[in-house]
Amino acid sequence: MTLLLIASLFLPLFPLSAVLNGALTQLQSPAARCAVLLLWPQLGVALLQIAAHGVPPLFVPWALLTSAFYALRLLTVRDMGRWAGYLATSALALVWALAAGDTPIVDLRLFTFWFSLPPALMALLAHPLIQRFGAAYAGLQGGLIGRLPRLSGVLAVTVLTAVATPPFPGFFALLRLLHALDWTGMLAVLAIWLVWGWAATKLLQGFIFGTDRTSSIADIGRALTLAFTGVLGIFVAAGLYLTRGGL
Amino acid sequence: MDKLIVLLPATPLLSALLITLLADRARRRIARLSVGFSVLTFLLAAASLALYLIEGRPQWASFGPGWGSLYLDPLTSVMSLMVAGISLVVHVYSVRYMAEEPGYARFYILLDLMATAILLMVAAGDLVTLLVAWHLIGVLLYFLLGHDAARPAAQRYAFWTFLTYRLGDLPLVLAAVLLYETYGTAALPALFERIAAAPDAQTVAGIPVLSVAALLVALAAFARSAQFPLHTWLPYTMEGPTPVSALMHAGIVNAGGFIINRFAPLFVHAGGVLHLVFAVGLVTAILGSILMLTQNDIKKSLGYSTMGQMGFMFVEVGVGAFSLAIYHLIAHGLFKGTLFLGAGSVIGNARKHDGVPHDDVYTFVVERKPLASRLPWVVAAVITVVVPFLVLGVSRWLMGGDSVGEQGAIILLFFGWVTGAQLLFATYRLRVDNPWRLMAMIILSLVIVVAGYTLIEHGFDLFLYPDRALSERIYAAASIPLATFEVLVTILTAAIVVGWLATYYAAANGRAHRGEASALRLAFYSLISREFYVADVYAWFTQAVLGLSRRLNVWSRWV
Repeated sequence: MTLLLIASLFLPLFPLSAVLNGALTQLQSPAARCAVLLLWPQLGVALLQIAAHGVPPLFVPWALLTSAFYALRLLTVRDMGRWAGYLATSALALVWALAAGDTPIVDLRLFTFWFSLPPALMALLAHPLIQRFGAAYAGLQGGLIGRLPRLSGVLAVTVLTAVATPPFPGFFALLRLLHALDWTGMLAVLAIWLVWGWAATKLLQGFIFGTDRTSSIADIGRALTLAFTGVLGIFVAAGLYLTRGGL
Repeated sequence: MDKLIVLLPATPLLSALLITLLADRARRRIARLSVGFSVLTFLLAAASLALYLIEGRPQWASFGPGWGSLYLDPLTSVMSLMVAGISLVVHVYSVRYMAEEPGYARFYILLDLMATAILLMVAAGDLVTLLVAWHLIGVLLYFLLGHDAARPAAQRYAFWTFLTYRLGDLPLVLAAVLLYETYGTAALPALFERIAAAPDAQTVAGIPVLSVAALLVALAAFARSAQFPLHTWLPYTMEGPTPVSALMHAGIVNAGGFIINRFAPLFVHAGGVLHLVFAVGLVTAILGSILMLTQNDIKKSLGYSTMGQMGFMFVEVGVGAFSLAIYHLIAHGLFKGTLFLGAGSVIGNARKHDGVPHDDVYTFVVERKPLASRLPWVVAAVITVVVPFLVLGVSRWLMGGDSVGEQGAIILLFFGWVTGAQLLFATYRLRVDNPWRLMAMIILSLVIVVAGYTLIEHGFDLFLYPDRALSERIYAAASIPLATFEVLVTILTAAIVVGWLATYYAAANGRAHRGEASALRLAFYSLISREFYVADVYAWFTQAVLGLSRRLNVWSRWV
């Protein structure tokens, strides 16, 4: 049980989720934030593997409530770094719901990865925004799609990836999770998914839509665009291959 | 044939990829490329329909383990041709319409991706492919409707549309999971075979699994096709570019009718759900028509007209006339697309000159000067009540109405009867030199339209549902006990006949309402002008959720 409680630091459950979100807030380097988002939850999965006994049923409602709590908070968060952290918290809490269904450890690792890479990429994407505008803050500088089409395109696709839009792996992972849940659990997960989508549109509207006020700011380079496109392309291909459609 | 099915969604996808790579090129080249690929897609869709007609049997092709399959059956081939045709028209129209707009390449990329997603949806051979395509349509529509990034209204209504679509995605996801868990396959042909073999396989909270799954599919269809109360997004999609409005109203909004047809084998075992579909469709048709009549903006009026038409489409589904719903959505798609693409020119012309010819209609309607004469009201009333009924009844009888589909046919006859009677009443109110001649011409037009419609619908039904047993079982599922039905028919008939007689009597004796409106009428008017307050309720709810989110963030800012 102690191991499981320690694991709930890494696969964040409220209020222990404060540790992950606090660390993300304190870290200034985008690369460090990206690394934490990728590695931190994998440690949690490793602890689940070490734990001798299965996940008690109590953890499932706890995980769903944590996920719903952070999804709801996501709706009014405008800082992109914090947004990525809350989304990661909301999504990674769902690992517990999957783990409670005696899911093989490989599937848990993959599920965790599908939901930690997109927030990690968002943490990286906050960097060019901060460089250009001083902060990656939705609504501060709208209308990016007009002058910064590459950055807007990459940002839009990354955010869609993060909120489990098909054909990105998160969607198939959610389908897999729905199998492991009863009716109430399924409805809760779908409601959380709905709120993620809502929050994503609010975030995008604050960045890429609106009146263009970016007259003299340069877009991101071709190399960076290709790098992000490549990573997302590989992510989709890996997801299509490894999730086998989720059902 | 397998390659053809793959090429159908792959062609516009290739176009989108090429435009992404060539986004820096001249606008004319981008448009030429996209339109060229659209022509190719249309030809491929026509070829797939032709091949199906030659081979005469459905094809299922799988490209991956578990999912990623395509299915070519009559429904796919007809819908693909329609989608490719409307997409081609919208592409051609956009070449000049969008020429001055920013983001020209982006617009064509999104348009091509949308064509890919819709074609993938209609050709999906398994539950997962269907879910992916179904969901992508909502996402792409969000970006298309919000294409003009600087217009806050476009963003607001794009968001409404997205959220309603996402809400409608949830029941379809649940239905897919439920069906897969029960029958152990995601492939649609195999799934339908297993459903036929074991329709009572499992229950959910005491309700048969097929009824639950059918209800979930119907809920998804309601959101996608703007059924009450999930309709508020539809009239406001006009804030997007006109070609997108045309694509939306001519194609995308019809997805509800398609999805119910796709899952027809489920509805055979869910008669109660069909009755719900009928009731929701009826309410939507009535409210959509009322709201259409009270708009003073041509595009919004067209939007509510679409809502009413979608309601009629669901009424058809609710009575078991599944193929008629597909025929309706194709016919509606073609005429509504034309109206939207022509709406801009109409508005432009109206700004220059009113363009209203000073003929008899103008003199009567605008100047309110009575002209010539009209038929005696009793004669006109009898013609109004009897003629449409006879025309519709005879045409149905000539097509050989069967006993199983009789209830559905009779309900549809009622709608036809009321519509035909409405037309004749409008004719009666016109004062013309020769009212008998005018009435005869209207009746002749009615006969031609009804006979043509019935004939085509009959042929269409045979094509879409070659398995006549399935078609008959759908009608049977939609039926209600005979005694109840006969009582309802008698009451409705009496109401229609008495209603029309009273209407004619009032019109002939000048008892139309004059003077100040009563409090009740004013209350009804304000209800309509606020569009039944549905959007206000949603706005209040979303603000409440956002308020809660803000408070949570303040209270727990350290966690």
